[in-house]
Amino acid sequence: MAEVILENICKTYGNSFRAIDRLNLSIEDGEFLILVGPSGCGKSTALRMIAGLEDITSGSLRIGGVDVVDMPPKDRDIAMVFQSYALYPHMTVFENIAFSMRLAGKPKAERKKRVDEIAKTLQLTSLLDSKPANLSGGQRQRVAMGRAMVREPAAFLMDEPLSNLDAKLRVQMRAEITSLQKQLGVTTIYVTHDQTEAMTMGDRVAVLKGGVLQQVDTPKRLYESPVNAFVAGFIGSPSMNLFEATLTGDELTAGTFAIRLQDAAFARRPSLKSYAGRKIVFGIRPEHLYDSSLDSGRKYQTLPAKVTSIEELGSEHIVHLNIDAVRVDSGDPDAVKDFGLASNAVAKFEPESAVRSGSEIRLALDDTKLHFFDPETHVAI
Amino acid sequence: MTRQKRSRHRLKRTVAPYLYLSPSLVIIGLLMLLPMVAVISYSFQNSAVLRRDPSFAGLKHYQAIFADPVFWASLWHTLYFTCMSVIFHMTIGMIFALMLNSDRINPTLRNILRVLYILPWLFTAVIIAVIWRLLLEPNGVVNSILMQLGIIGSKIEWFSSPETALHAVTFANIWAGYPLFMVSLLAGLQGIPKDFYEAADIDGAKAYQKLIFITIPQLMPIIISISLLDFIWTMQVFPLIWITTGGGPIYSTEVLSTYTYKLAFSSYNLSQASASAVVILLISLGLTLFYIRYQKAR
Repeated sequence: MAEVILENICKTYGNSFRAIDRLNLSIEDGEFLILVGPSGCGKSTALRMIAGLEDITSGSLRIGGVDVVDMPPKDRDIAMVFQSYALYPHMTVFENIAFSMRLAGKPKAERKKRVDEIAKTLQLTSLLDSKPANLSGGQRQRVAMGRAMVREPAAFLMDEPLSNLDAKLRVQMRAEITSLQKQLGVTTIYVTHDQTEAMTMGDRVAVLKGGVLQQVDTPKRLYESPVNAFVAGFIGSPSMNLFEATLTGDELTAGTFAIRLQDAAFARRPSLKSYAGRKIVFGIRPEHLYDSSLDSGRKYQTLPAKVTSIEELGSEHIVHLNIDAVRVDSGDPDAVKDFGLASNAVAKFEPESAVRSGSEIRLALDDTKLHFFDPETHVAI
Repeated sequence: MTRQKRSRHRLKRTVAPYLYLSPSLVIIGLLMLLPMVAVISYSFQNSAVLRRDPSFAGLKHYQAIFADPVFWASLWHTLYFTCMSVIFHMTIGMIFALMLNSDRINPTLRNILRVLYILPWLFTAVIIAVIWRLLLEPNGVVNSILMQLGIIGSKIEWFSSPETALHAVTFANIWAGYPLFMVSLLAGLQGIPKDFYEAADIDGAKAYQKLIFITIPQLMPIIISISLLDFIWTMQVFPLIWITTGGGPIYSTEVLSTYTYKLAFSSYNLSQASASAVVILLISLGLTLFYIRYQKAR
């Protein structure tokens, strides 16, 4: 077990394309860190650089206090779980798990003892003689975990290990991996593009975009205090609604409506006042928008909106709306770009909500939950 | 009425596949099965083909060829020629495929090598035979290089000396045949997921361990299939040997195919030639059954 420290890590392909730009991260001993970001943000590259599968163009990387930049992967004392699991199809589960011990020339009895222990932890004992082709997705995933565990590494590296599983199994395996990591206490770096995994599994989450670290924080703080519009839009599902508005006095005006801000909003953000009379970007999460005809929404100020479509999920309604304001792109390349003219906002309503597609409603908004960003830099105010 | 319709429909469905297959079945029957049956029947006749009413000979011709030392020599030469060819085709093909698949070689050089390595495959057996006769003749390039390097003291008559002739034709056949393995194994290598090697790197595998534990097991289905096919094809090689040595000198490169040919068209003993051909057929059949079984098992 060890801490992993990345200092000014850069990765440049060819002469120009910079996949990772001055990445600084400090992962504590036993911590579960999630690297998250949209496709092509460099998260897998960063993980592969830690593993030693990609060269580090510049910067320093220390695992357990040892500089490993020039070390081959095998000497870095890490184990990796691949997206594809990379299980050898011609080997049995036992042989797959014991492979690194076999390479290291460990005696057969020792291999058997260790693999049996791991198989017991992962409930794979009855499958040790099976080939990977005969296993289910979840079982294969566990074998891949076993293969990583057998080495008792200083750090686990996991590259989207759940992305090949169906939705239900993913939820189950998410919990399994989290509890296994807690049980083993091994420093873990986990790459995913799924922000639900990011929010539910890690002690801290590092959000990357275009090879640049945007924010690294606990899931709760990422959700509550995103440092910029990208993080705000990326974390949370559905994404935060971001709109352009003008700050006039203590009111945000956009199109035909105005939102009155309370003094507390200015007290919490002293620089907000400097935007008076200027354009500003404000954000509100779908869960902080309410149906004003229900009790939960009565206490909030409202603005006019038109319902364009509703997704009834049973426990909640995802309501797509159109409000009279210009939507702002958070910069997430994976987000649905053409939101179309039909809707520009999403709200999560309680299942009791009786709003219908096509109806004009009053949309309630919890103004204490508003986020503000600079219109040019998209940095949080 | 409906029952009649239904039974007609069922009949159509049963017969239709055979109708689709019938053109190829007719061609296979005429071009393969008919000659095969004819050869088998000739092997049990006296003066087959030559006489209009040949008499039944029983196993006489089989006894005759089994009593012929030249037949046994041919069988041994065939086995040597085939086994050595297959082993070296596989080894050379594997080495070249690994080279062509390696990231360590410059891509341009790799493309040039790919073309060079595949060249022998483009030549017909006749051209290969002529090339190697020229190269290996006493005053040819090979002798002159070997003498300059001091490896041999005097000129060797590669194809004319009974000690070297079989090795020389085997060598020529190895040169001509490795590209099949190379191309098949290269395709196989390119299909092995990169993750396997990366996982092995992290686990601490050395290059030879990756070859033994990942590459070869992953290529095994291709190695087995192509080896079996190569074995079947090489056993029947005729033109290369016929043009280079004609089976000589003193039967030293006589293989079953040249032995059979000579029986048929030099001695005009078509009955014995048929018996010998049936022996080749049986050996090939055994290997083919093994191949089919292996394919089915997969």
